[in-house]
Amino acid sequence: MSASPVRVVNAPALAGATDGPVVDSDDETLMDLSAVEAAARSIIRNMETVIDGKHSAVSCALTVLLAQGHLLIEDVPGVGKTMLAKALAKSVHCTVSRIQFTPDLLPSDVTGVSVFNQVDRRFEFKPGAIFANIVIGDEINRASPKTQSALLECMEERQVTVDGTTYLLPLPFTVVATQNPIEMEGTYALPEAQRDRFMARISMGYPDNESELRMLDARDTSSPLDGIEAVVTGAELRGMMTAVRNVFASAAVKEYAVSLVRATRDDRDLRLGASPRATLQLIRAAKSRAALHGRDYVLPDDIDALAVAVLGHRLVPSSRVLGHHQDSGAVVDDIVRRIVAATPVPVGAPGHT
Amino acid sequence: MTRSEADTTTGGPPAASGAGQPVPTIRAMRIASAQWPLAGALLLLLAVAGGALAPLLNGTGWWWLMAIVAAVVLLGGAGLRRVGVPGFLGPLFGFGLLVATLTLLFGAGTGWVLVIPTGETLDRFRDLVLAGTLSIEMQSTPAEATAGILFLLGVGAGMMAILIDTLAVVLRVPALAGLPVLVPLLVPGLVLGGKANLPALVLTAVAYLVLLRVEIRMRQAGSTAFTPGRPWAPVAPGGAVVVGGIAVVAAIVVSVAMPVLPGGGLAGARPGGSLLFANGVSPMINLGQDLRRPDAVPVLHYRTTATRPPYLRMLTLDEFSGRNWTARLAPGNRENTVDDIALPPGLSPEIATGETITTIGIDGLATRWLPTPAPARSVTGLLGFWYWNGTSGSIASPSDTTRGQEYTVTSLTLAPTAEQLRQAEADYPSGIQDSLELPAQTPALIGDTAREVTAGAATAYDAAVALQEYLRGSEFDYDTEAPVEADYDGGGIDVVSTFLEVKSGYCVHFSSAMAVMARSVGIPARIAIGYLPGVLSASSSVAGIGRYSVDTHDLHAWTEIYFEGVGWVPFEPTPSRGRVPDYTRETSAAAPNDEAGQTAPSGAARPEDAGAQNAADGEQGAATPEEEAGGLLRLGLLLTGVLALLLVPAAVRVTRRRLRRRGILRGPDGAGVAWREVSDTAVDHGVEVRDTETPRELAGRLRRLVESRPGPAGGTEQESVNEALERLLVAAERSRYARSSGTGDTARSAALAADLDVVLRGIRSGSERRARVQATLLPVSLWQPGAQRIGRPAANA
Repeated sequence: MSASPVRVVNAPALAGATDGPVVDSDDETLMDLSAVEAAARSIIRNMETVIDGKHSAVSCALTVLLAQGHLLIEDVPGVGKTMLAKALAKSVHCTVSRIQFTPDLLPSDVTGVSVFNQVDRRFEFKPGAIFANIVIGDEINRASPKTQSALLECMEERQVTVDGTTYLLPLPFTVVATQNPIEMEGTYALPEAQRDRFMARISMGYPDNESELRMLDARDTSSPLDGIEAVVTGAELRGMMTAVRNVFASAAVKEYAVSLVRATRDDRDLRLGASPRATLQLIRAAKSRAALHGRDYVLPDDIDALAVAVLGHRLVPSSRVLGHHQDSGAVVDDIVRRIVAATPVPVGAPGHT
Repeated sequence: MTRSEADTTTGGPPAASGAGQPVPTIRAMRIASAQWPLAGALLLLLAVAGGALAPLLNGTGWWWLMAIVAAVVLLGGAGLRRVGVPGFLGPLFGFGLLVATLTLLFGAGTGWVLVIPTGETLDRFRDLVLAGTLSIEMQSTPAEATAGILFLLGVGAGMMAILIDTLAVVLRVPALAGLPVLVPLLVPGLVLGGKANLPALVLTAVAYLVLLRVEIRMRQAGSTAFTPGRPWAPVAPGGAVVVGGIAVVAAIVVSVAMPVLPGGGLAGARPGGSLLFANGVSPMINLGQDLRRPDAVPVLHYRTTATRPPYLRMLTLDEFSGRNWTARLAPGNRENTVDDIALPPGLSPEIATGETITTIGIDGLATRWLPTPAPARSVTGLLGFWYWNGTSGSIASPSDTTRGQEYTVTSLTLAPTAEQLRQAEADYPSGIQDSLELPAQTPALIGDTAREVTAGAATAYDAAVALQEYLRGSEFDYDTEAPVEADYDGGGIDVVSTFLEVKSGYCVHFSSAMAVMARSVGIPARIAIGYLPGVLSASSSVAGIGRYSVDTHDLHAWTEIYFEGVGWVPFEPTPSRGRVPDYTRETSAAAPNDEAGQTAPSGAARPEDAGAQNAADGEQGAATPEEEAGGLLRLGLLLTGVLALLLVPAAVRVTRRRLRRRGILRGPDGAGVAWREVSDTAVDHGVEVRDTETPRELAGRLRRLVESRPGPAGGTEQESVNEALERLLVAAERSRYARSSGTGDTARSAALAADLDVVLRGIRSGSERRARVQATLLPVSLWQPGAQRIGRPAANA
């Protein structure tokens, strides 16, 4: 059963490792927001030594991590998707595993499997690659739908059930999946329902001239990943996450998020609008972004900045507007931008006015 | 209908949520209950505006009638809506209510169950309308409110009530309800030509503001039905104040400007196209107005075969109530068509007569009285129906006006000799006896003066000539303004008495004084109103017949005295105006011969010619500059008014800024107010502020604006502006989107206000000159508030 080619490249710490797979919230400390901002800056600076000239992608990835969401990085091969995921994972001190998805990867390779222990004469559970704080799922659309859904169920429920026993996944738990655009050969596109589980989708885009030149120099001899180290401990990371949860989202901002999402459902250019889960995740991501900027309250600007990343991959354009476009992503991004530009920003009701 | 419209005006989120299900009924109830205040406000507006008619009518009964009719229509309409009658049927029901009310009040019991009109009622209504129209035309102001006038007022009030009810409630544009109400406000100004009735204007404006306020409350009750606890939006009152302020100032400007406007040339004489000597106006007052008009307007032109250009008489006033002269109502006899007019009464064949033919073309005169040389024998070429009246000698039409008419008059010229007149017997027929009536309380001064003047006169003729000479003497001044200023305008008995003391007035006073004095010594007298002969237009002589043109300054009143055997004979008591008849000149031994030359055809009197005509009379020269000064004054007032109107937006804007600044220093939400001011100022300066934009986006654009045009101090100033802008932005964001902290210490407020000043200065210096001017004079934010949208309540707070 486990003879299938599981390519677990980097799965050093599993159950019983130093940080522990299950982290209770006992040692959580509410971090000061200025400390959160400083820590976030240092993470971003650390990542940018590896990923050059992709500030928005980097900060978006960190936003999603702090909001305890899952991130989908979608782009053509070779632009640094995996590099971004690994840099993020290495910048915080926590367990990281990586799964390279292939068509013959089985669900048990992801979740883990019960193995018969000859010595103890009983079955014992051997956790799969999913048991880590940050799971990098490379080329997730190359796996069979069966395996994909096993991963995605874990993502949603944050637990694994094997042979009737439920194993909780560690906290924090973030899946950073990369995928190639759909028109590439030999892929199984993620269904809409499963894309919905990712908090945000970002695409890297090609680097500009300067960045590409610099990259040539930096990567000539060695991988830049070797040079970076964690700048934030696991406890600090959890403190940051708690701080993010405590960011205040006013009624006006919530209303703005709701009206944005509702607008996607009413838009005639869209066949499928965003789900209520999208609203929830939009607010969570906005809180995270606010914390990254050292604010303890969410601004409509946070929502605006994240709308494309959070909503884009959940929407399906109507065939009419898609027309002869092959790239539905660009079309949808345009639609989201249009909706953002057309939705009135509510003015809060402060005090007595 | 109101309900569905209320739905669309809320602009709320698409009401698909299940929780919104019971809302429409709640809102409808709120709107329905708000009907009463709205109807009340409309009634108030109408009643107050109706009160502006007070200068035109005697007593107060008419006002109560108008108020009652309007109340029935408005409150009845509101009641019907309350019980669920659809709004669009409102005007229909309003009309029904109006008819029922009128039937009850005026039907005199002819209505079925007192309120349903029957054929008999309709006949009665028609009579009332006729009587009302007639008495409006005949009566002078202030008029007695006869049944006919009351009926017309009731109809007017009811129709206006229906109209404003339709505008304000059914169409939901209460701002327009102010328009119909302008009618009663402007009518007195048009008719009497005085200054604006300021108290009435202000009261009406206040009532209008009340209406707007009530309507806004109602609208808000409709739109915030989702959150009952929510206070009203602060936007709307500002808008109402702006609209109301502009309306008040505009009304004042309009009423100040009204007398200056020269009637548009259409009606020639009257602004707004109303008829001369109609619409409840005293002919006397009218006449004075036309004489005081700064610019003469052409009235008519004519060619005549007469050797001397004739006076053109329109009507005669022989009934003297003591308060005013009126034309005796003599129903037009349908057989008295103008192609053959009987000889004037009392004319005996011994009197020498000549026949002249005059062709008259009307340029700008609209009246039902036909100007003709008197006495006319036949008129041809008239359009419409015109009838002559043997007693008054006037030719009038019940249905047509003189506008645009061209007609030819054949008339007699009477040439009685002084001897013939002197021999006339003082035995007057009964029809003429009326022309001796004087009111009971005639001031003694009039009779005394008359007897004194006529002491040496043996006959009626001598007495009349003596009176004419007395009034034309150097003691009396011709002045069109003095009576108005001293408040004794018109022809009433008290006015005559005052005039005899002051000895200054114009033709109205002279003619009525002569008529009253003649009557007091037992000579039948009446007043004729018409036009002086006008001036000969040079270069327009056709076959030796000159063309005379007559303008509004030629409007004139003179006295006619009755002599048995001759009939009514005109006299000219007004100094420096017109021409003394030949038959009165022979007896005046002092009259030099060359005076005949003075009255040559071309020498027809004009105030402007006064210097040439009567060198001794310097008053005429003075009157013209005075008139000019009055015109200038009015022009100045008009300009000031227009200027004030233009400055209203700027003043409102500055006031709002001051209030906000005070609010920042005092209020707990200083940051929000400050940001609103920033956003409004940006709108004023032409920066497009969209409600889909976050404050930060607006701040970004403002920063670019500030940087685009470096101020005089250069970069450091920009720095400070940017920093202040950032501080304001963060404060505003905090106040809007952060947890309410409740900290509002004064130091922070003062810093906010200082930052606000810096930012406003920055925006100002960053804008182009044109934008700056526009921002000052015409701040767009007054009607397009930038960030003043009120956040809709959160769906799931």
